[in-house]
Amino acid sequence: MYEFVRGPLALIAFIIFFAGSIYRIAYMLKGAKKDKIVFSHMSWKHSLASLVHWLIPFNNQYMRRRPIFTVVTFAFHICLVIGPLLLLGHVMLIQESWNISWWTLSETLVDWMTVVVIAGAAFFLYRRLSDPVVKNVTDSSDYILLAITVLPFITGFVAYHQLFAYKTMLIIHILAGEIMLIAIPFTRLSHMLFFAFTRTYYGSESGLVRHSKDW
Amino acid sequence: MVNIQKWDWNTKEKMVADTTGWPNQFEDVQEPYVSPDGEKIASIVKQGEGEYSVCVNGETWEEPFEKLWSCRFTPDGRVSVMSSRDMEWTMTVDGEPWETAYEYIWDPKFSADGKLIVATVKQDDIFGIVTNGTTWECPTELQSISSFVMTPDAQTVAAIAQTVPLGQADVDTYYKGTWSIVVNGKPWENNYVNLYGVAVSDDGSTVAAEHRAAITDHTILVNGVPWSEMYSCTWEPMFHPKKNDEVTAPVRQGGKWYLATNGRIVWDRGYVNILNPRYNVDGTKIAAVVATSFAKWTVAVDDKPWSCTFGECVLPPCFDSQGVTAVAIARDSGKWFMVADGKVIGDPCDNIWPPVFSPDGDKMFYKIEKNGKFYIAVNGKIATGAYDMLWDPILSTNGADVLIRGIEDGKYYRRVVASAAM
Amino acid sequence: MKPTVVKRDLVEDYAIDEGVKKLTPERIEKVVNDVIDNETAGRLWTYLNTCIHCGLCAEACQWYISNDRDVSYAPVTKVKDTIWPMIEKKGKVDAEFIKRAAVISFTECSVCRRCGMYCPFGIDIAYMLLMVRRICARLDMVPLYLQDTVHSHAATMNQMWVKPDEWIDTLQWQEEEAQGYVPTSRIPLEKEGAEIMYSVIGPEPKFLAQLLGNISVIMKVADQDWTMPAYAGWDNSNMAMYSGDFEVMARVERLHHETAQRLKVKKIVMGECGHAFRGAEYDGPTWLGWMSPPIPLIHAIEFYEELLRTGRIKIAKKIEGPVTVQDPCNVVRNRGLGDKLRYIMNAVCEDFVDVSPNKRFNYCCNAGGGVINCGPPWKKKRVEGNRIKAEQLKRTGAHTVVTPCHNCHSGIEDIVDTFKLGMHVKFFSELLIEAMDIPANLKA
Repeated sequence: MYEFVRGPLALIAFIIFFAGSIYRIAYMLKGAKKDKIVFSHMSWKHSLASLVHWLIPFNNQYMRRRPIFTVVTFAFHICLVIGPLLLLGHVMLIQESWNISWWTLSETLVDWMTVVVIAGAAFFLYRRLSDPVVKNVTDSSDYILLAITVLPFITGFVAYHQLFAYKTMLIIHILAGEIMLIAIPFTRLSHMLFFAFTRTYYGSESGLVRHSKDW
Repeated sequence: MVNIQKWDWNTKEKMVADTTGWPNQFEDVQEPYVSPDGEKIASIVKQGEGEYSVCVNGETWEEPFEKLWSCRFTPDGRVSVMSSRDMEWTMTVDGEPWETAYEYIWDPKFSADGKLIVATVKQDDIFGIVTNGTTWECPTELQSISSFVMTPDAQTVAAIAQTVPLGQADVDTYYKGTWSIVVNGKPWENNYVNLYGVAVSDDGSTVAAEHRAAITDHTILVNGVPWSEMYSCTWEPMFHPKKNDEVTAPVRQGGKWYLATNGRIVWDRGYVNILNPRYNVDGTKIAAVVATSFAKWTVAVDDKPWSCTFGECVLPPCFDSQGVTAVAIARDSGKWFMVADGKVIGDPCDNIWPPVFSPDGDKMFYKIEKNGKFYIAVNGKIATGAYDMLWDPILSTNGADVLIRGIEDGKYYRRVVASAAM
Repeated sequence: MKPTVVKRDLVEDYAIDEGVKKLTPERIEKVVNDVIDNETAGRLWTYLNTCIHCGLCAEACQWYISNDRDVSYAPVTKVKDTIWPMIEKKGKVDAEFIKRAAVISFTECSVCRRCGMYCPFGIDIAYMLLMVRRICARLDMVPLYLQDTVHSHAATMNQMWVKPDEWIDTLQWQEEEAQGYVPTSRIPLEKEGAEIMYSVIGPEPKFLAQLLGNISVIMKVADQDWTMPAYAGWDNSNMAMYSGDFEVMARVERLHHETAQRLKVKKIVMGECGHAFRGAEYDGPTWLGWMSPPIPLIHAIEFYEELLRTGRIKIAKKIEGPVTVQDPCNVVRNRGLGDKLRYIMNAVCEDFVDVSPNKRFNYCCNAGGGVINCGPPWKKKRVEGNRIKAEQLKRTGAHTVVTPCHNCHSGIEDIVDTFKLGMHVKFFSELLIEAMDIPANLKA
């Protein structure tokens, strides 16, 4: 079982993730072309300005207004992406499989990052349940997406600390990670793929066409 | 048509009037207009409180008016102006008001020979069309006239008119149709929700217009008969110059624009937009302004777009006198360009006016503006000195001479220049 | 997802109430799918696949804040209750759903684009609400007064059923009025080759004709070479843009811009209106395939800023006492004229008191986006739905609020009345006329 999820299934997940992402971005670009104005409205300068103001914490007034949310969301997303990517264990697996590797972080640090992701997810869950606006627009898909996102981290944490049934936990962890990879292109987790495009389009339209700013 | 051969093509230069003193003579002097033959220059002038006249070559009309507007020369060189006395309006030509006065009069148009002046009038809240002082007889009390067109001889006048009164926010009546086409006083049988872009064939036998029945239901009506196809949008129809039963209009389907003739798509390439199609003189070619993609404007001739595109706009195209070369004025990066068959002719300008062509079609003459001064350009080259004001050049019938009408330092000159020398 | 629980007073609107009776499931399905499949593309699809339902847009909305944070007014809720189910159910929604979607999109959202600035992804929520309006318009589900205004645009090419003679007559009357101040004042009609074509919105000749007199004095004092069209094409306003009737919108804008081309002017200067600027500068040209108006368009704020900065107009006596301003969304947030607006306010006011938040962060007047044009039935909700605007203006202690936009002007007037703020509401040109220096040689 372990060999299957770690081997062929992982490969399939990666292929679906990359191919799916490329497909979805291509589909989006095709749609953008059909929208006829989108590419004419794009501007590198205003795209960059928008990204600078929205990718650096507290670099726009909305983030400054919501300090807790800003801290949580940045910590959550940074740890979510960086943690798994720079975890020694993951890199070793990739090296074994495809003979490529890169620099890694200390395991303790990644462990703490995992905690941050889990805590962030808890925060988002709490918001979904308590904030009337968010609650009103939340349906099962939102909980499922949150679960898909956080499950690899919870299982990874449990497995790493060998809290119980290490082998089973490891398999579940790998499976959870694979589900997440597969889900990214085809669910609203694709905001990971589309963020740069929606952000830069809005920035470009605001700057180039409307002579204003989007931050 | 006016016989321009009778004009003076021999006097090389004539200073018709020195307008420099006019501002001291009058309380206010409005912008001048010149006669087609160049022999007269006229401005509306204010002589005192509620006293207006027209100053023609330095002479004012005898009796002042309370108000004047829209001073224009007829093609045969008379000064027309809309005038008001005792709260009533009429048309005044060379100082002589028409006998009948109206609540209001506007939108004057002239027959090609200049003999007939046609305008919209309102009297006792009823709208009508007047020709040389005679209002058409219409059985329906027209509530409004939004626009009208006429044949070159002004014998047939077709107007988009409101035939049914409409109360405030009365959407039900509106959807039943409150507009129709009225031709020489006779309304079409049906009423329509909206009508636009009325056109009349040169022989006056056929009238076409766009019909908007609902938000995305548009078609073309020809003498009241709709095309079989509906479109999500249309633009104004035009007639083939030789065939009064051939009507062509841009139509929109599935988010793209096509050109259709009598309800059949004839340009099937599909554009972001098609504006202002024009036939050449014998109707063998059509040129239209097109956007091949968003913000890329050019001209297509018979559905083949030019390779060069312009970022801002292209003005309605025309063909040379032989009907071979398509010409348009285009705008890009804040400058205007003269473009012929897809090639930019001459330097960019601050403004360009439509050209006139030599009889053989080889040369085009047109007014341009550069740095606040005006010139006549010939095929892209400036061919005159600088004028402070300038009117379109006029070619003699054989094309040998060009009449240039312009103001230099307040002096209005009429000049005749051999076209070969330009 | 369960529909949002909403509490609203019952409002009767003839067009909506009658329209809903004529809807059939087949017609709804056909129109919804046609609009989604053929009139939207990459943007809508990407927005729907990106929105993570975080609700951060809520705080942007003056409706939401003013209604004690009633979730049904949050921008994301408005999307949830309209376009999400339409797409999810592939157009299989019922007539009552469309009715609610019409009420939301036309009378509870001013498409001011403030929420777009609050979305971390830059999702243009107002764009989605405009697509909802498009669907409603194609289903004949537009509030009566807004629809009637669109009918006026479609029939007369102006917003207020102004007949061709009334337009010219009004200009000539106002020219005479202006000559009372400056005898050589003129409204030059159809002057081909003038530098400027000045265009206004339909309500000016209909209800606020003195603004036309004012501009003729201002133009004379500033020695501008200008003209106004005598014929259709003079109106730059466009309620069809807001009703979702994009075909009429485009026809109106095409005529306006082709009128400027016909008059061979260098630029169009438009009066103090925000939505008209948006329609003439952005929405109209975009539909027609122009990146920007073919003849450049300048809003009154930019025009006055240039006249004051270059000294073409000098100020004789500044307006006394505290004066504040409303930033029209469509020329400030959506055009970046906030600083220029402050320049002209400071130039003519002794004590300009700014609002907070200001410039592109300022709240919408709630009248824009066609909301005020939905007419009397919807007025109460519109005015009460902008309590924060009243509070914001009150904090300035100003005696006058300047609104360089017609919709803001009417909307703020309603707010001033309802919340008893005791302020005057004025256009900038009214202040300028009071404050500017009329050279001795021009005086009566």
